[in-house]
Amino acid sequence: MFFQIGDFLVGMLVGVLTALAVRVLMWPGIDMVIAMLIGMGVGMVIHFVIAFALGPLLGMFQTMMPASVIGMYGGMFFGMRDSMEAGSATYGAAALVGAIFGAVVVAALKIYDRALHGPTLDLEA
Amino acid sequence: MTIAVENDAKRKWDGAANSFDFLSFGDDKRFAGYKRRLFAKMYGKSLMVATGTGNDFKFFPPGQDIVALDISPKMLEKAAPRAVGYPGTLTLREMDVCKLDYPDNTFDTVVTVCTFCSVPKPIVGLTELRRVLKPGGQILMFEHMRSAIAQFGVLLDMMTPLTRRLGPDLNRDTVGNVLKAGFRLRRVENVYMDIVRIIEAVKD
Repeated sequence: MFFQIGDFLVGMLVGVLTALAVRVLMWPGIDMVIAMLIGMGVGMVIHFVIAFALGPLLGMFQTMMPASVIGMYGGMFFGMRDSMEAGSATYGAAALVGAIFGAVVVAALKIYDRALHGPTLDLEA
Repeated sequence: MTIAVENDAKRKWDGAANSFDFLSFGDDKRFAGYKRRLFAKMYGKSLMVATGTGNDFKFFPPGQDIVALDISPKMLEKAAPRAVGYPGTLTLREMDVCKLDYPDNTFDTVVTVCTFCSVPKPIVGLTELRRVLKPGGQILMFEHMRSAIAQFGVLLDMMTPLTRRLGPDLNRDTVGNVLKAGFRLRRVENVYMDIVRIIEAVKD
């Protein structure tokens, strides 16, 4: 249970930090492609820092893989949104969407992991 | 060149010895059941390579006859008290997996845990392990590797240049390397996605 809760908290943290960092760096009207590239870069840096800080406590791969997806895709999505001024007008709203995005990605990867889990080759059976 | 690579590896893992247990705390807890189940298949004279600080000794079944190797003397210093506490025979030796000081057909079982993400020449190391295994002997591996899922595989490729400086590569094709070394796969199990996997193979 500790690890399950921790996985979600880390995912939400990466989502919030990425959303806020992108909000700080973007302005309405910036070229959307540039905004997405910057967002992706910012998200990747944040994921790396958080994953290396908390990975030892929660498990490296279970921390790193969701965090990388949240940082990379979240950064792009948030950059796209902020370049268009398309919602989440306040920092609080942006952070909330970041947390929701992080939690959804963690949940999706847990389901995916469950689907992949188990033997792929078993000549003993 | 070979000596330089060996010295680099030794220096890297000597440097990691003090933080190794801290860095592996979460993995140690999350994967404990899988390791215990895998190691329950050990039999006969066993060889563990890249022993690290010996934090996996607690998952070994009692009463085994095990030789545990590491290239790093600092790691072996940390492992020594744990080896003494193992309820069986467990001998530590400083050795490079690519140059094993054992004759052909010595061991019944080889065990590795997150080893072939770090061995600079993985196929050479695996071939050497195959050499020291007896015919019919088994290799039991708990390893992380590159995901075959494109999205995750690319992410692991991107992270590897940095993680390599700290320790492991994240994008090795370890199942492929096991086959290239001449083993026959007996069992492959996904533990976390298709990144952390159990590989069981035999020497025919």
